[in-house]
Amino acid sequence: MRPLTPRRIALICGLLLAVLFGVVVIALRMGAYPISLLDIVMTLFREATGRRDDIPLEFWQVVFGLRLPRIALGIMVGAALATAGAGFQALLRNPLAEPYVLGVSSGAALGAMLSLMLAPHIAGVIQVGAFVGAAATTATVYFLGRRGGQLDSATLLLAGIISASFLSAAIMFLGTTMNARDQRGTAFWLMGDLASPPSFAPGWLFFVLLVTIGSIYTTSSDLNLILTGEQEARHLGVNVNRVKLVVYIAASLLTGLAVSVGGAIGYVGLLVPHAMRMLFGTDYRLLIPTSAIGGAIIIVVADTLARTVVAPTELPVGAMTALAGAPVFIYLMRRRVR
Amino acid sequence: MRKPQPWRLRIPAAAGIGVLLLCGAQLNGQMAAQRPAGKMVTDETGRRVMVPAEVKRIVTLAPDLTETIYALGLEERLAGDTEICDTPPAAKMKPHVGTPISPNLEAIVALHPDFVLATTSINRRETVDALRRLGIAVYTSNPHTVSGMLDSISQIGELTGAGERGAAVVARLRARLDALHTRLADLPLVHVLFVVWEDPLITVGQNTFIADALRWAGAESIILSKQNWPRVGLEEVMRLQPEYIVLTSAHLKAEGNESADLQKRSGWKELRAVELGHVAVVGEGVDRPAPGLIDAIEELAHVLHPDAFKVNSDHGKMRLRNNAEFHAAVATTKELCPCAL
Repeated sequence: MRPLTPRRIALICGLLLAVLFGVVVIALRMGAYPISLLDIVMTLFREATGRRDDIPLEFWQVVFGLRLPRIALGIMVGAALATAGAGFQALLRNPLAEPYVLGVSSGAALGAMLSLMLAPHIAGVIQVGAFVGAAATTATVYFLGRRGGQLDSATLLLAGIISASFLSAAIMFLGTTMNARDQRGTAFWLMGDLASPPSFAPGWLFFVLLVTIGSIYTTSSDLNLILTGEQEARHLGVNVNRVKLVVYIAASLLTGLAVSVGGAIGYVGLLVPHAMRMLFGTDYRLLIPTSAIGGAIIIVVADTLARTVVAPTELPVGAMTALAGAPVFIYLMRRRVR
Repeated sequence: MRKPQPWRLRIPAAAGIGVLLLCGAQLNGQMAAQRPAGKMVTDETGRRVMVPAEVKRIVTLAPDLTETIYALGLEERLAGDTEICDTPPAAKMKPHVGTPISPNLEAIVALHPDFVLATTSINRRETVDALRRLGIAVYTSNPHTVSGMLDSISQIGELTGAGERGAAVVARLRARLDALHTRLADLPLVHVLFVVWEDPLITVGQNTFIADALRWAGAESIILSKQNWPRVGLEEVMRLQPEYIVLTSAHLKAEGNESADLQKRSGWKELRAVELGHVAVVGEGVDRPAPGLIDAIEELAHVLHPDAFKVNSDHGKMRLRNNAEFHAAVATTKELCPCAL
């Protein structure tokens, strides 16, 4: 195996960013509204050069009003969920750990719903609620998953599944207090839906996303050591508890962020980090950035499919990721058993 | 063993995406209205809508709204509707924008509408929000009563320049409703179970236009619920023993004879109403707050109160006196069930 040089990290990330760019271009091109690539380029160019008045209204609506916000949202949600997945896998030392499977997404969804009911008019309250829900669920699952002071893989997953079903029941219960119209919206959001961008300033959410991914990244060489064994890592001078705390908060924050804007989209946190491990190895210094970009790619692709395969109707993007992700989960689980 | 980690490495991971993303991030909600002047109205959900002075291309997001547009004689200007819009049959030939619950926003934009009609009864708030962000005028109806539905029809008529036609349509429908009151006013209400969905059993809550339609047809739902579409157990139905079961023809098309069908089902066959064959099947119109609802109300009234429709002029006069009382009662009911959302 080649040593991991900064050059190599930059090269691989650059490559993935190029793929992401290509995917974004394709996603911009696809959709029910027929618009040629040339028109898209012209629209982007005119907007960039400040000549918005030259853009036909409908091109502006489709490109800047519908497709780009949705793509941006997909990138944000994908990057957050995939990085959170990689983080949980290290934190819990379990390759099957993932926000959705662990019930953390459901916790975030419940938190978001509760906060929205208690304080519906405060900007960003959904994000805070989702984060608190995610953090509380992670802590609960972590402690339920311990057996004799050790994290037990099967117990942990069971704790996650049970938490998820308990939280879903709570969400359903809350749903009965809503009016029919909000229930419909919630049902879509729970399946994972990127069609409706958040009302809260997306620029801020991107800022939080980048800072959080960055903070997980700073722990990546420590995570590599922790994964070989916590005792060994301690002997080598790693502050294991501090690293775990950082990853715990960051992964909860990422899950909360993703769920608050895109709903409970499953299996991305599983699919992407494992694909990246297969492609580029298990070193977390490479795994974190590649997972973030890979997650963005996957969600943009999945969402483009979700809004085009059964056009003019749309599928929730969560259905697409679950279709691809659940078999991978089973494969990984079987491989571990053997 | 730990390798020193160069700081510059921590940046590219994030910065690369960041540049690309932030440009996309700034794009929301700045779609200013650059449309010709129109009139500012408040829709039924309390939102301000700038309706163009002359509405030319309409997209409807629910079957009842499509039906209303046809009733207003605006089919020429209907640019598109949803996959499930089938009344009148000509509506099926219009371009579709997907289902009411999840319409394709791009397909809507592609039809270049200047006026979109949505409803709280089957559309999602998110759809309306997204269209409004694009600068498209969306009027959302919020039907909770039959009378509110009629007001909504005349309002939509006003906004689309079909005010006179709208007023005429509404006047005709009101006249039919009044005629119905005259006959039914002093008859006792029939207690019914309205079946929205059979399995799981879903019925109507008090604040729905269907519950109100039942009242106009001389009936009352046995289920009192603040939820709009409550799920109830058969046991509860058994306890309350409705006099009639009301089904719509929509979800029983394939099953043939409905009352015979219910007589074979455990749980249902034990109900007194089913034993007596008191199963009323009304047209799909009852599910839709549109002009066809009045047909369904009349249909149901005929089934539930057959005697009231036998020719008998003496009774008619007596009932006229009670008409005012009935109207007062309806007004009170409306106050008790405000159409708040």
